[in-house]
Amino acid sequence: MADKPPTQQDFSELVTQWERAFNEISNQVMGTDEFSRSMNQWQKTQLEFQKNFSQAMAQQLANFNMPSRDDVITVSEQLMEIDARLTRIEKALARTNAGFDAPAAKKAGPKRTRKPPEKNVDGGVS
Amino acid sequence: MSEQAQLTNQMRDLVDKTIQRSMKGIDYVRSGSAQVGLTPKEVILEQGTMRLYHYEPVVDEVYRIPLLIVMATTNKGYLFDILPGQSMVEYLLKEGFDVFMIDWAPPTMQERGLGLEDYTQGFLPDCIEAVQEVTGEHDINIMGYCQGGVLSLIYASTHPDGPLKNLVCLTTPIDMHQMGLFRLWSNEEYMDLDNMVETLGIIPAEFITNSFEMLRPAQRTAGQLRLWDQLWNDDFVKSYRAFQRWGDETLPLPGEYHRDCTRDLMWENKFFKGELKQRGKTANLANVKIPLMSVMAQHDHIAPYEATKPLLDLVGSEDKEELVLKGGHVSLIAGPNAMKRMWPPVNAWLAERSV
Repeated sequence: MADKPPTQQDFSELVTQWERAFNEISNQVMGTDEFSRSMNQWQKTQLEFQKNFSQAMAQQLANFNMPSRDDVITVSEQLMEIDARLTRIEKALARTNAGFDAPAAKKAGPKRTRKPPEKNVDGGVS
Repeated sequence: MSEQAQLTNQMRDLVDKTIQRSMKGIDYVRSGSAQVGLTPKEVILEQGTMRLYHYEPVVDEVYRIPLLIVMATTNKGYLFDILPGQSMVEYLLKEGFDVFMIDWAPPTMQERGLGLEDYTQGFLPDCIEAVQEVTGEHDINIMGYCQGGVLSLIYASTHPDGPLKNLVCLTTPIDMHQMGLFRLWSNEEYMDLDNMVETLGIIPAEFITNSFEMLRPAQRTAGQLRLWDQLWNDDFVKSYRAFQRWGDETLPLPGEYHRDCTRDLMWENKFFKGELKQRGKTANLANVKIPLMSVMAQHDHIAPYEATKPLLDLVGSEDKEELVLKGGHVSLIAGPNAMKRMWPPVNAWLAERSV
């Protein structure tokens, strides 16, 4: 008798089994004190490198009288803040103008009187 | 049906799916990012990294007490509004709730100094005030997800006389010493937290994403294999892309907030012990006396059951309920299983307490 071709269900189950097994083994490896120590040590080294590199770069840029990445970020964030404020002012002005044009009542929302569906004796809802 | 006919059908199906897979694979590569969070809403308050949305009600009569969803600070809130027809926000609106949500945007460098207190004693009370103003109602219900649940609980325990009426906590870790690998990796003996916060200022999103992915290292590859297998299935592809986008849009965190959470919550477990101080107030869970529902996922690898379970024992509420459901940290909230398992009981619990 010929073998049946693999079905979609078989493939899906295979992936699930592989995923489960891989995660389990990885978690065993990563779930040790030694792994935590090594990971944090590696992170510390990376941070030190990043800090030293940023300082050296900032110093070089200052020597050339150029802005550093932090300076550019600060300026761009300030611009974003000004932009957001302008948007708020525009919106407020639009609301004020609309109020002058047609001082209508505030848009009424839905009634806040809704009641939950009543429970039947058997615990269901009607 | 004969065995031969069965075999022929299976072969035909296989060939058909292979052709469709090739055609749709090209579409997949060509198309842009998934359209998510489409339920109409208005931003009613914006303070730096924080956004407060008000979703447009879809019924003429809503429950008296508005519902505020507090999203976890590491991810975008559209998990609750992932796709039309699979959106919890859409479901709650149809069920008659007036829904608000606190969502987060990447913090700027100027916000690097925002601490835990700024979230629990600043953003949350400001949002509650804004909701009160919009609705004209004093009372409010909150539903907090993961770290959003922690923020909501800290707020609730420091404002016992406040306007909070009912609280739903979704996968909310309390005993941080039960956080498994997260706890191990953030071992205070090895982690140079201060150096990290001072060097980086803002904790990059990649750091957060890597931490999550390291818990399930095979998940991404397995997901891609499943995608290849199901490329012929439009619904699967649509859903995969939406969740993939959500996972990829993990948010960076203010350094100070990360320091507070790691030191006070993770290392010293202060909130669990009732020793956490926020702007002079003690955040003791025994102060929480309002009705509370805690929903947990059986297979949660991010906030394990052992970390979420103690909540009910620690709160002072008399009306409290625990719901342990099949699923994981994300599938508890969104996706076809969430629609069947989590949404209806939460809706029923909130509905009878929202009048």
